[in-house]
Amino acid sequence: MTEQATLYVFRYDPDADGTPHFDRFTVPWQKGMTVLDGLYHVLDHQDGSLSFRASCREGVCGSCAMYISGAYRLACQTLLENLPGREATVNPLPHLPVLKDLVVDMEPFFRQYQRIMPYLKPSEPPPDKELLQSPKQRHVLNIHIDCILCAACHSACPLTWADKDFVGPMALNKAYRFAADSRDAARKERMRLIDPSVWKCHTVFNCTEACPKSIPITTAIESLRHMALVQRLKFWQR
Amino acid sequence: MRTARYADRWPGNYRAGMWMWLLHRISGVVLVLYGITHVIVISSARTWGPGTFDRVLERLGSPLFLALDVLLVWAVLFHAFNGIRCLLLDLGIGVRRHHKPLFWAMMAIAVALLVVNVVVWAPYILGKPLAE
Ligand code: SF4
Ligand code: FES
Repeated sequence: MTEQATLYVFRYDPDADGTPHFDRFTVPWQKGMTVLDGLYHVLDHQDGSLSFRASCREGVCGSCAMYISGAYRLACQTLLENLPGREATVNPLPHLPVLKDLVVDMEPFFRQYQRIMPYLKPSEPPPDKELLQSPKQRHVLNIHIDCILCAACHSACPLTWADKDFVGPMALNKAYRFAADSRDAARKERMRLIDPSVWKCHTVFNCTEACPKSIPITTAIESLRHMALVQRLKFWQR
Repeated sequence: MRTARYADRWPGNYRAGMWMWLLHRISGVVLVLYGITHVIVISSARTWGPGTFDRVLERLGSPLFLALDVLLVWAVLFHAFNGIRCLLLDLGIGVRRHHKPLFWAMMAIAVALLVVNVVVWAPYILGKPLAE
């Protein structure tokens, strides 16, 4: 007999009955199988109406972040054998509006992303050659540029739950990534954009714990505070 | 019921930072309420007269209230050392790699001070009279 794994999957269909509930699925298991593989097995063989987002299956697209068995994880990076009893409780990302089953509305998340000017802004007039970076200058950005926009951190942060005006951990990490970039010339403007959000962080570390890319988001926020403070102290440059 | 929107509200799944954040708020509220109570008790000598004041103080010196005092001490210690932890983090100390050791160190100091406190107070809680 083949070995099995169990999935308890959150179901919600606003067009049908509209009451959220959990469905239990048993799927054949083999070593190395992820929660996402399990969901695909359900979709292909048991219930074609199951909705979830995924694309790359290898932790680079950021589509498949979910709340799985008590932690924010990427379904494609979570091995069933690492969950107790090979059982996975699969929830959509909490605190984001559920559209159907495991699919959430990412709009509140990307709205915050747009607010922080998520692109490099060179000095005026723009340089006519490309801007070179030394390995050392590039090193500063390491790991902070690894964000895959999965929204796990956004969903995990108690500040975003309560304060819709707070830009959230992802946007602050992104803001740091651009502000710390040697090719960027808009630090002053960036500090204005993240004020007062950058001061709202309570160093709960939920984002850092949740991030599937292990980005030290809280560190990025503290570094931004440092930059913002220096900016304010330079009164002659205001 | 396990609902998806708030699936992460279950306290069993909270990590250390989340507990610290939550307990910091709770201990803060406790301390504010204590401050108000303290003012009311101390001013009871004027508002309700010396007789009431004496009776209130006697009640507060009972083992039960002394035991509650230990909880109050814990609220102070927790709030203080978690506050120091937050300040250190804001200064960039321990935030990148050592936030867990920092958390344990701060809580260890707070617990050690609490133990000292309990040892000092234990005889009174167990019934030794406060004043000769
Ligand atoms: S910072 Fe981490 S958790 Fe947040 S969106 Fe990016 S990859 Fe996801
Ligand atoms: S499917 Fe792309 S990150 Fe999981």
